[in-house]
Amino acid sequence: MSRKPLRSLVTAAVLAGTLGTLATALAGAGSLEAMLSGALQTSAAPSLLGPITEAGRKGWACKPERAAAARTPKDAELPVPEQTP
Amino acid sequence: MRAGLALSILLAAAAPAIAAAQSYEQPTPAPRTNDPQQLRAIASAREIHERFAIGLDAEARGKWQEAAAEFTRIIQLRPPEPQGSTAHYDLGIAYAHDGKNDAAAAEFRSALALDPQFLAAMANLIAIDIARGDLREARTIADRFTAAAPDSARAMYSRGIVALRQDDLATARDEFKRLLGADSSYAVAHYDLGVAQAGLGEFAAAAAEFSIALDLAPGYARARFALGTVLLRQGRRTEARAAFDRAAADSAADPALHSLAASLRDAIKTR
Repeated sequence: MSRKPLRSLVTAAVLAGTLGTLATALAGAGSLEAMLSGALQTSAAPSLLGPITEAGRKGWACKPERAAAARTPKDAELPVPEQTP
Repeated sequence: MRAGLALSILLAAAAPAIAAAQSYEQPTPAPRTNDPQQLRAIASAREIHERFAIGLDAEARGKWQEAAAEFTRIIQLRPPEPQGSTAHYDLGIAYAHDGKNDAAAAEFRSALALDPQFLAAMANLIAIDIARGDLREARTIADRFTAAAPDSARAMYSRGIVALRQDDLATARDEFKRLLGADSSYAVAHYDLGVAQAGLGEFAAAAAEFSIALDLAPGYARARFALGTVLLRQGRRTEARAAFDRAAADSAADPALHSLAASLRDAIKTR
């Protein structure tokens, strides 16, 4: 058997192997990329503030209006990590 | 001597009765008019007062349809402010809890039409609009909320969340930075700031924000997962895999997150 066909066979096998590895790597990367795409979600929307008496929103007795104007997340009744989806 | 003692005992026994009598409400004064219009107005005011009490009690017991009936009737009576806007607001809450989000949004809008500075109505309309998927109106109201109460944590958070969902990442980033300027210990804002930064390709900054969120709340599985995604994008595969592994372990209460974290962990492992 001459060396030329053997060399061609080896070259073809190496090329096929390289392409196969590259294809697997690309598929894996594509799969990871697909899994990462849209994986990050925002935290939860704020919950509804509660009812208000007929006295209306003005004054210290109105807890929902005070929560709406509060400067800190806790006083504003914003979601905590355990509540986020 | 004996008579004095008896008098003392009698007075001591009577004292609680006197104190108890003081706790009774003053009776409603009888109307001092014969004018039919005035009498009708007095009756209407009384009905509004009573229906507010019944409606709020129903809401406290989770009887949303009963509450809605009371507030609907109050609105039909056309009460003056602040009762009008308050009745629309309370009706909106009853509808929202009853799953009628479109009707709830309409009531919060009506409350705002009567009282344009009603912050709680703005806050609730944004929350309902997000649930309805109406991000356009949510953003309009969030802009208005922020303008009316620039220091409000809820206004900043709401505007940031709506901007994130609209893919307006720069606005979201600015809003969460502002919120953290007021209170840097709020882990959720660090998380959302990181999400905005990751979307803008600022992976190092995002990783730093997720890490701060985890320092503040070590069991925050979604922040751990988010940290894994940015580490992966930075090519730090071993650290990313560890983050997904921990996120999978911490997210037993969230099956979707648990599954995604475990899949990403295993995808890295098999490569």
